[in-house]
Amino acid sequence: MKKPRLESAALAAQPGTGLVGLAREASLRHRLIARDEQALVELVDLATPWLLSVAQAMLQDRDEAEEVVMETFRTVWQNVTPTGEGHTGLMPYLLRVARHRAIDRLRGRRRHDRKLTAAAFEWSQNSFAAVEPDEAGHPGWQVHSQVHAALEALPSEQQAAVRLAYFEGLTHSEIAAQLGIPLGTVKTRLRLAFTRLRTALAGLKEWVL
Amino acid sequence: MKSHEWFVEHGVDYATGTLDADDMATFEAHLIQCEECRRETSRIEAELAWLPMGLAPATPRPGLRRRIIQHVLEGKSRRLQRWMAPAALAASLFLAVGAWYAGNARARGLEDQLAGQQARMAAVQDTLSIMRQAGRVLQTSVEVGGQRGGLVIFADEVSHRWNVVIHGLPPAPPGGRYQFWFICADGMVRGAEVEVDPGRPMMFTTEMPETGGEVMGAALTMEPVVDTAGPPRGKKLAHLML
Repeated sequence: MKKPRLESAALAAQPGTGLVGLAREASLRHRLIARDEQALVELVDLATPWLLSVAQAMLQDRDEAEEVVMETFRTVWQNVTPTGEGHTGLMPYLLRVARHRAIDRLRGRRRHDRKLTAAAFEWSQNSFAAVEPDEAGHPGWQVHSQVHAALEALPSEQQAAVRLAYFEGLTHSEIAAQLGIPLGTVKTRLRLAFTRLRTALAGLKEWVL
Repeated sequence: MKSHEWFVEHGVDYATGTLDADDMATFEAHLIQCEECRRETSRIEAELAWLPMGLAPATPRPGLRRRIIQHVLEGKSRRLQRWMAPAALAASLFLAVGAWYAGNARARGLEDQLAGQQARMAAVQDTLSIMRQAGRVLQTSVEVGGQRGGLVIFADEVSHRWNVVIHGLPPAPPGGRYQFWFICADGMVRGAEVEVDPGRPMMFTTEMPETGGEVMGAALTMEPVVDTAGPPRGKKLAHLML
């Protein structure tokens, strides 16, 4: 007879075994604060595809995007707190840091030299494509699906404004110049779009971790 | 001088960073003195924080994970390396190689640890999968030394494996040990020896015995430590029939 594989039931409740999202998030946060390097590895594995996606889409430079991701993890590693910045989850925190880092870099470039090339627009068209539902392959695809659906539900002119504002880091005036429309129209479109997005995203639960 | 209503109206613009530079500075100055607007902009930022997840995930290039961990733990910076003056680069080459080697070894160690954790996680998932698809669940109470616990069997009739949970029992007394048995058509077949931890339930996964014929049930006994083979001789604590 084969020897039985022994497992303690308590093991299933240990952190890092992918059970309940909120519980794991709390556990990971606790371990990160305790400088548990294994927790860092887990966080990197979970979050990197999403952070890289944002940074790459914004910067259009793979090397620079990777640097942003590295800086993001270092920032979180050095600053993670027990309650979370603004009481948000780890993943929103990571996403926010990555986006701000990318915007800093975008704004650091000489804006008049930066051209929104056809390739830049190409990503904005393509990168909103939904990921095939594959929970095992992409932890977080449920959130992606919901956010993607919320973005897709916006009228095309609002989608364009959101892309330029949120993912390109352009201001109202820059968007107006870019799109060749009045400043007031830009503000209206963004206000309507973000109001709808806030409503759509407010119910999201933390998937990580 | 802008009214408070202006700041309320532009909270989303501030939170998404779309205000022009002058307005951004004005807004930041206002936030210092207005808790209501601080709360509101934080709330908006939190609500929209998931927005980047609308982009399709990117596949990291090979080695990125290791470089991230090195960067975080070792403080290495590719950007610094890229722009470092050649002379400084030459002077620090030896140290950099040493640091890289150390960081690399550390990252490898972490990867090995992760692989171990993933293997354990796969084992746990496999174990839990039996519970999810258990076609039959059997349970009975067990009393040892005045302490009452239980024996639960999750029987997966597809893979012919059982998850066995034993809980609430005291440690075996000196000279004794808990023994799990299969009640088979041809007699009792010895299963796993069970080490009880009073602090938490004990679980093990077992396949059906290769001898003894059809499995008809299971039993738990307290056997003398010296008896490691042969039929049960100790006290029967519980039994379950399929």
